[in-house]
Amino acid sequence: MATQQATVDQLIAAPVARAQVGLWTDAWRRLRRNRLALVSAAYLIALAATALVGIVYTPYPYAHQGVGLPYQGPSAAHLLGTDQAGRDILSRMIIGAQISLIVGLATQTVVVVVGVPLGLVAGYFKGWIDTALSFVISVFYGIPDILVAMILIVIIGKPGLGTIIVAIAATRWMDMARLTRGQTLSLREREFIEASRATGGRSTKILFGHLLPNALGPIIVQATLGIPAAILFEAFLSFLGLGVPPPTPSWGSMAADGIHAMRISPHIVLAPAIGLSITLMAFNFLGDGLRDALDPRQKR
Amino acid sequence: MKGSLLYIGQRTLLIAFTALAVSSIVFIGIHRLPGDAFVSERLRPSQQQALLHQYGLDRPLLVQYRDFMTNLVLHGDLGQSVANRGVRITPLVLREATVSAEIGAAALIFTIGLGLLFGVAGAIRQNSWVDYALSATSVVGFSMPNFVIATFLLLVFGIWLQNLTGGGFFYEIGWDGAYGNPAEIIVPAFALGFPYASFVARLTRASMLEVIRQDYIRTARAKGLAEQVVIVRHALRNALIPVVTILGPLVIGIVTGSVVIENIFGIPGLGKEFVQSILNRDYNIVIGVFTGYAALIGLANLTVDLIYPLIDPRIRY
Repeated sequence: MATQQATVDQLIAAPVARAQVGLWTDAWRRLRRNRLALVSAAYLIALAATALVGIVYTPYPYAHQGVGLPYQGPSAAHLLGTDQAGRDILSRMIIGAQISLIVGLATQTVVVVVGVPLGLVAGYFKGWIDTALSFVISVFYGIPDILVAMILIVIIGKPGLGTIIVAIAATRWMDMARLTRGQTLSLREREFIEASRATGGRSTKILFGHLLPNALGPIIVQATLGIPAAILFEAFLSFLGLGVPPPTPSWGSMAADGIHAMRISPHIVLAPAIGLSITLMAFNFLGDGLRDALDPRQKR
Repeated sequence: MKGSLLYIGQRTLLIAFTALAVSSIVFIGIHRLPGDAFVSERLRPSQQQALLHQYGLDRPLLVQYRDFMTNLVLHGDLGQSVANRGVRITPLVLREATVSAEIGAAALIFTIGLGLLFGVAGAIRQNSWVDYALSATSVVGFSMPNFVIATFLLLVFGIWLQNLTGGGFFYEIGWDGAYGNPAEIIVPAFALGFPYASFVARLTRASMLEVIRQDYIRTARAKGLAEQVVIVRHALRNALIPVVTILGPLVIGIVTGSVVIENIFGIPGLGKEFVQSILNRDYNIVIGVFTGYAALIGLANLTVDLIYPLIDPRIRY
């Protein structure tokens, strides 16, 4: 009883506030407790490492036909088997992972670079800029994104990675612009912005020095959740034959190859299908974890 | 009643206008490279010139656009295919639109039916194993791309079951006719609807859990109504309102998904035609199909809007 009383006294005596930590330390502390998000992050780091190694080394040249017999199931020589042209599926999966990650990251970079400034400006200045942006966004939302992307690929006319990134980014920037606009609309009424305006802060300083850093958390979450969406989109396009031109493999085009051979050797379609599902889930879990870590007030 | 008719009239006009605007934009955007469809045929330059002339592709773009619009507005004529010569596009697109609408409607029934069933079951058995199993299914369903789901369905129903039952019960890949029979429709419609069903299930569960704790539910129970009546007539009806608001985006999602699903299952709808015509560089059909899509989405959204007042009587037009 006496010791218990002592602990209670100590607790009361201890300073109420814990050591001050910044937003990022705090977020990291919360993220660390989310096991699913950590496992996902570990998987994604491993995937990225494999993709990087793939630049200098793959078990077999990915485009060489006949490195093994066609339609062979998994074996010691070919861990994931060979496809219809006798190409090593593992090597092609590694190159496909590169394509997926490049498309995911590059698309989200374009989306952030285009969407965030548009959202900031529309949300801060309001008026006709805001009206115009909102109109364009609502028009884009009314047309299925895959149709817009496919038409853009036709109009640009040069198949390749750059075209795909532009086409996907063109259907994804609205989410980012809308989110940033919403954040800005609520932030601009806060006192610290009013203070900055009152002391004669320039608009660019307010936009990028005060508004942007405060809206950064949701933007990071949105960008992370946008990566799997972009990867899935690329897989869709490649699956339909509108993605990166062969012989460069993409998980989508590998799945399309596999579907035709599904009757005799289902392993060809299973490798990219399972790889894609796991990767998408990992990005989604990591994004959800980041959201909980960066914005604990928001409840799902 | 008169108000509703007026509303439907306005919306139909708006759909027609949108379809026209969309087809104009695509027409102008795409017609930079006329006659691409002929390049692969290795024609002599004179022959190619003759073909370009026959299709009027050698005229100035503005003249082409004017003729295209006059034909479209006055006769509903979208011109003819360049790759398959002599095929008129308007009847083609109309037929394919009905096929896509058929699959889409079946998928929507799956989406809403399964979604509501899973959502309500999860909510009334909250935190039981039923709830956890359904929640896990929803997470998987929502993170798996629909072509992966379609692939697994084809593997199971198309191949493994055939080997197992000696072909007594299996799914044949590809439709033999222009329209599918119910057995052919059910697998692709499920693949198309399932990811969205997971989404609807999550939404329904959350809004059911909220509604079920309201006072009027307690009142309904207190006055001795049967549990089914309380759940279906009182709780579900109000829990439906947030679900109904996402029907619009849902329709867009199903149209998007159908492009992929139609190609996997060999369904002769708009999505398959769209991809084929892009690969063939048959731009006349691309424009036609895009116009068809714009109209189809407009009509689907109008139908959704007309359903709102049936569920929530506070909405009127």
